[in-house]
Amino acid sequence: MLPEAGGLTRRLSEVVGDEHLLSGPAAGFAVDGAAPSLVVRPGTQEQVQAVATACAQVGAAIAPWGGGTAVGLGNPPTRLDVVLCLDRLTRIVEFDPANLVVSAEAGVRLADLQQVLAAEREFLPLDPARMDRRTLGGAIATNASGPSRLLYGTARDLVLGLRVVLPSGERVRCGGKVIKNVSGYDMNKVFIGSLGTLGIITEVTFKLLPAPASRATLAGVFADLPQAAAVLQRTLGSFLLPEAMELLDPQALAAVASDLGLEGSAGYGMAISLAGSQETVARQVRDFTSLLTEGTALRTSTLGAEASPAAWRKIRDLPDRAIGADRVVVKIGVPISRTAAFLAAAETLGRRHGWRGAIAAHAASGVVRAAYATGAGAPEVVRDAVEALRREAEAAEGSLVVEAAPPTLKRHLDAWGKTGEAFAVMRRLKAQFDPRGLMNPGRFLGGI
Amino acid sequence: MRPALTTDLRQIVGKANVLDAAVDLQLYSYDAYLEERRPDAVVFAHSTDEVAGIVRACNTHGVPFVPRGGGTNLSGGTIPVKGGVVIEMIRMNRILEVDLPNLRARVQPGLFNLELGNALAPLGYQYLPDPASQKAATLGGNVAENSGGPHCFKYGVTTNHVLGLTVVLPDGEVARIGGKAPDTPGYDLTGAFVGSEGTLGICTEVVVRIVRLAEGVKTLLAIYDRIEAGSETVSAIVSAGMVPATLEMMDQPVIKAVEESIHCGLPVDCATVLIIEVDGLKDDLERQAQEIADLCRAHGAREVRVAKDDAERAALWAGRRGAFGAVARITPSYLVCDGTVPRTALPAVLKQVAEVGRKYDLQIPNVFHAGDGNLHPLILFDWRNEEQKARVMKAGMEILETCVAVGGTISGEHGVGIEKMGAMRLVFGEPEIEVQRKLKRAFDPKDLANPGKMFPAPQEVRHAA
Repeated sequence: MLPEAGGLTRRLSEVVGDEHLLSGPAAGFAVDGAAPSLVVRPGTQEQVQAVATACAQVGAAIAPWGGGTAVGLGNPPTRLDVVLCLDRLTRIVEFDPANLVVSAEAGVRLADLQQVLAAEREFLPLDPARMDRRTLGGAIATNASGPSRLLYGTARDLVLGLRVVLPSGERVRCGGKVIKNVSGYDMNKVFIGSLGTLGIITEVTFKLLPAPASRATLAGVFADLPQAAAVLQRTLGSFLLPEAMELLDPQALAAVASDLGLEGSAGYGMAISLAGSQETVARQVRDFTSLLTEGTALRTSTLGAEASPAAWRKIRDLPDRAIGADRVVVKIGVPISRTAAFLAAAETLGRRHGWRGAIAAHAASGVVRAAYATGAGAPEVVRDAVEALRREAEAAEGSLVVEAAPPTLKRHLDAWGKTGEAFAVMRRLKAQFDPRGLMNPGRFLGGI
Repeated sequence: MRPALTTDLRQIVGKANVLDAAVDLQLYSYDAYLEERRPDAVVFAHSTDEVAGIVRACNTHGVPFVPRGGGTNLSGGTIPVKGGVVIEMIRMNRILEVDLPNLRARVQPGLFNLELGNALAPLGYQYLPDPASQKAATLGGNVAENSGGPHCFKYGVTTNHVLGLTVVLPDGEVARIGGKAPDTPGYDLTGAFVGSEGTLGICTEVVVRIVRLAEGVKTLLAIYDRIEAGSETVSAIVSAGMVPATLEMMDQPVIKAVEESIHCGLPVDCATVLIIEVDGLKDDLERQAQEIADLCRAHGAREVRVAKDDAERAALWAGRRGAFGAVARITPSYLVCDGTVPRTALPAVLKQVAEVGRKYDLQIPNVFHAGDGNLHPLILFDWRNEEQKARVMKAGMEILETCVAVGGTISGEHGVGIEKMGAMRLVFGEPEIEVQRKLKRAFDPKDLANPGKMFPAPQEVRHAA
């Protein structure tokens, strides 16, 4: 229970105003079934600082909250007093199109940012699921990525600078707004993917790209997975530079087939996104069409620039939307050449247990995301199944992270897996930043 | 240094691999920066186990250690300012694995950057970061400094291509972090380690991303009679929505020095040249090159040449890569500044650099990564002239202040080292420096890994306050 709750409530209300403070258990802001005593919605970065300071003074445990899209990630919090919701921090601080750089506050939703950038024919090449709701701060804190990481990389390749409120209440800047910067340690990397356990990201500076002149999507259906995997291998050995290559299991394909112009097709799907100049897109459409056909695709389709965005939105959101609330979502990361094998393993697991699901792989990036409707399956059964798959991934030098699961299952199933060889350094890092364990306690790797 | 440590070191690596004669120590007392400090011993390491043993021994005896690769560092990163042991990594120079199906290579840190490129090219692959010093700079050094190079504008810097490390932590523990698979759970220690200038430990293996060689490349040389016209063209190209692989600039004094030493066919009577390269799928390169040439001319280029073949392209790059070396023809020493600014600020900042040169009566030629906004003013001087050297240091600081004032930073790719410890306060307040100390303490609580680098001295806090 929150120590000195009364005093904290008063202080926070002074900072943000009563209308932005919700006291009493707030079910809508529960983390793995644990509801916070207070939900506070600061309107400025200075207010975030004041909130963090007030919480630090009374030792209140904080969970930062953006759009809530990734709240399933991580282990159940060992303590939760205050949800610090950043959804009012929606300022685009500086958009500098000539230098391809934007700084925006943590609560800006990815889709909204993209719209602002598109007006200047630029874009942020980061496309995780649920861009409509996902905030910049959340995307960076969870290191969210999507299919186009193949061509553009992930947050660690795109973030130039951050502003962070530390657990002590201090505000600091990391990095800057230039594209090469080795002034001191690369502190951005420490915060990317740290799940709010080291501080609260309040502003992000990204490097941007010019919007491509042309776009197209190619899709194909294969009777079996090895045929699709062969196309993938041939692509990796070629000069071709697709923006994204997504491999879909039959259930995932069924969910997006009509968006891809492959209505009624059954089998394994492959969707390839192409972006660039007219010439390079046209050439890649030709080459990939041959690759798919020679690769014995049962059927292919081509989408132009108009139909492509909607199809890709559907693909990105597949594991997050395909199934109801009681889903289990896992993300497997393995060396690139093992991607198809792990898509198969994830599919086998679902089939063996009779779980409906959808599996989509960022096929040339080594990432497989699988969503299962485990229904009334006993938590122990689900745990054992997921852990068996995790052991396979870890044996392949990879990992399996539970991105979402019902709270009852989470009590049995660790979200992250093995802690790795430098875990002592990670623990010391956490202790340096958050010695009292107030930031998202218990949710990160190894109980950090 | 304590004899007991020397004995321990000899036991770990053998007698022949520990140097402590004065003449040997002198050779390891400097790098490409301007200071000197002798280590107490130099130890040649040949394996991760040996490095771990050496570091454990240093830790036991409380003696600092400094890893060293090619010694090309420009900010004094490998100078052992607190004495102790220099751990020479250059013999750990093998390519351990080229894993084409996974697009990764695993290499030892003493390998020269260019050697990796040379090994991959016949297979049709490449490792993208290519610092100008790639012939003599090691990959371990690239990791420590987060090195850049001419191709960063499109392809990023070292950190974007290093996905895993085997590191010897400052207590001698060996840990593998990151790896061939993406998104390792936990904090991104690999990302934190890259660019840490040897202050968090020593990497003994590096897992890098490799990619196919580009299908096509076009290299252009644009020649200008006005230096501003060159930097304006850079912004115009980017504004036109193009992402060239390189946008490099050299001004007249550099061009002259390069031409005199390498004879690669650069015009010596112009104000500046831009070397612009576009690469990727071959289908649109011709058109891109044409559009860029038109933009160059529209912004006042008096001539634009397109390299007709590999030999012409190689000649242009030999000129650019040889620039630092060639400038040594003009004066015995120079200080390389390494500020980075938003690209559009380049014309204004170049003017200010010239102004600083006039103010301090110093020659400051320029050669730099214009696409990245990464300047390299070279402040020329004679190291025997102490009074001149003092002016050089002031001029360098003033250039960095100029960069910071327009939203830039104090180092783009050469690191802080000992050179820019004081300048850190131009960009960071005390809380921001303290955050970096937290990272340092998490890795190196006893402050033994390359101590006396990067962080401004505590007493400066009081002066600054």
